[in-house]
Amino acid sequence: MLDEVFNLKLSFWKYILLAYVTLIIVAAFSINIPRIAILEETARNLFFHVPMWFTMFVTFLASMYYSIRFLSTENMNDDIKAESAASVGVIFGLCGLLTGMVWARFTWGTWWTFAEPKMNLSAIALLIYVAYFILRSSFDEDLLRARLSAVYNIFAASTVPFLLYIIPRQLPSLHPGADGNPAFSEFTAPELRIVFYPAIIGFFALAYWMTNLRYRYRKMEYTLQETTEV
Amino acid sequence: MLNLSSTSMVDTLSSAYADRWEGSESIAGADANALMNLLASYDLIFVVLAVSLIIWFVLAFYLIRVDQKISKLEQKILSSPENVYKE
Repeated sequence: MLDEVFNLKLSFWKYILLAYVTLIIVAAFSINIPRIAILEETARNLFFHVPMWFTMFVTFLASMYYSIRFLSTENMNDDIKAESAASVGVIFGLCGLLTGMVWARFTWGTWWTFAEPKMNLSAIALLIYVAYFILRSSFDEDLLRARLSAVYNIFAASTVPFLLYIIPRQLPSLHPGADGNPAFSEFTAPELRIVFYPAIIGFFALAYWMTNLRYRYRKMEYTLQETTEV
Repeated sequence: MLNLSSTSMVDTLSSAYADRWEGSESIAGADANALMNLLASYDLIFVVLAVSLIIWFVLAFYLIRVDQKISKLEQKILSSPENVYKE
């Protein structure tokens, strides 16, 4: 395990991932897409905007998994992993929110509207995670911080499906996946799916890499802090 | 009117700036190289692709650098005498 973790060379899968994401970006701009009214070429945003949210869900889910695991093991590594995954999730959520705003400006005609449940509720979901980091920063004692933030993190993760899927589906909205507005159904052109599905996998892998980097950095920070205190 | 603009090359510069900017004819046209002609085709969509790829490459390079720096630090901590680093 150790020689794998402390390998100075970049692991092979990272080179594959770099080439893979490059291919995705090239394909996203190069494939022929059907002309869709209002969306026009912005239909290509599907390859970037939607995977941001999917990646956020997956990282938040991973974060919750490590928080639950921490509560049963009390292993600080699990706490650091939960924190790392949550922070990468917030980054991807912010990207989703910002790209959504730009897309909304040119298809709905506004950067932000409080009439749009998916916009507002996704912003609330992100704020819930911002509170997670504020909560973390308010403890001096490591074990206490890890325990309480793990409990909070489980709560935070459980709000996400309600805020981003269940509630928006009950309310009128322009966003796909709302009341009377199909999300990713038979209406989505098959050409778009060819790039969309692989793009999701690429961004998942990128998020894993980013989480791993943050975890390793945090782990060293924690180790240094332990050695200097003793 | 027939709309050929989506498949034909767009020369956005030579007519608009022809009298003001010398050498503007070479942006797209017979004497420009193949890459420049490709970038200037399909309503300039490939210019956006080039911009996006530049951003991606810079970010990817940054990720690789941070990865390598972290690996080096890990090795340093692992080989230090008071090593308490455990997986």
